[in-house]
Amino acid sequence: MMKSKIETANNLAQVHFMNEPKLKHVRLLESIDESDPREPIKLLEVVEGTIERGIEPILFPADPARGIEYPVLIVEISPSEYENIQNNTSGLTVHGWSVGSELPA
Amino acid sequence: MPATDQDWAKAYATQALSDLDAREKLARSGAHKCHRLHFLQMAAEKVCKAYLTASNGHSNVRKSHAYVAKNLPLIARVVYSSVGNRMAAWEISQIKDLAHEIQLLAPACDDGDVRLDNSEYPWQDRVGNILVPSEYSFPNIDDSSQNRTIVKLIRLIRTASESYIR
Repeated sequence: MMKSKIETANNLAQVHFMNEPKLKHVRLLESIDESDPREPIKLLEVVEGTIERGIEPILFPADPARGIEYPVLIVEISPSEYENIQNNTSGLTVHGWSVGSELPA
Repeated sequence: MPATDQDWAKAYATQALSDLDAREKLARSGAHKCHRLHFLQMAAEKVCKAYLTASNGHSNVRKSHAYVAKNLPLIARVVYSSVGNRMAAWEISQIKDLAHEIQLLAPACDDGDVRLDNSEYPWQDRVGNILVPSEYSFPNIDDSSQNRTIVKLIRLIRTASESYIR
């Protein structure tokens, strides 16, 4: 059975935490089209020591053969960029996104 | 009809695979290390651009060379994670270091004038000697098949490129 977007997002967060010891937070990014299956799962990943380039999303195509039925978009930012985003969300709203719930390790 | 960003992403991924093939041919024919590294840098840059183009737009991505250090480790993490692999902490750290070194192979990327060594053009060192890529050893990158991390990274660039053109 096809996993839901949120189940897939939770699984992705868990394996990303396993493969990146400097990953501190994974937050969902949400848009108004979330119910559309073509809308990617969007993860905001806060990684200590990452190069600071602002909001530079990177899109992974869906990979059903590996159990990932949805495209996945990742925005990797540093802890200090994360702090800035919490005070000023304009970098995200320009893409039509808001910060959603935190996904556990 | 104008090309879409998705079309451009596939085109970058296709060219990344061709760059990797060229690197392999050069390696087999005994070409200088600078040429192997040049094609490795180009393949790495293009796979990053493939993944960035679909979400940022071709016009925003095409001009810069400085995408590899940040995005190649991220692509590695996601691609390895998707096949259920777990990377060791040392391996993650080595991939980040290698991605940084690969980015610096592009002449336009010099870490703020600190690293002039590159795989294409001669440069002058701090004491005035001119250094030539074909005569330089590139000691920070071991691209031999004995280096498991670079072998894995090259395989990753291939897998990641193929997954975009499927």
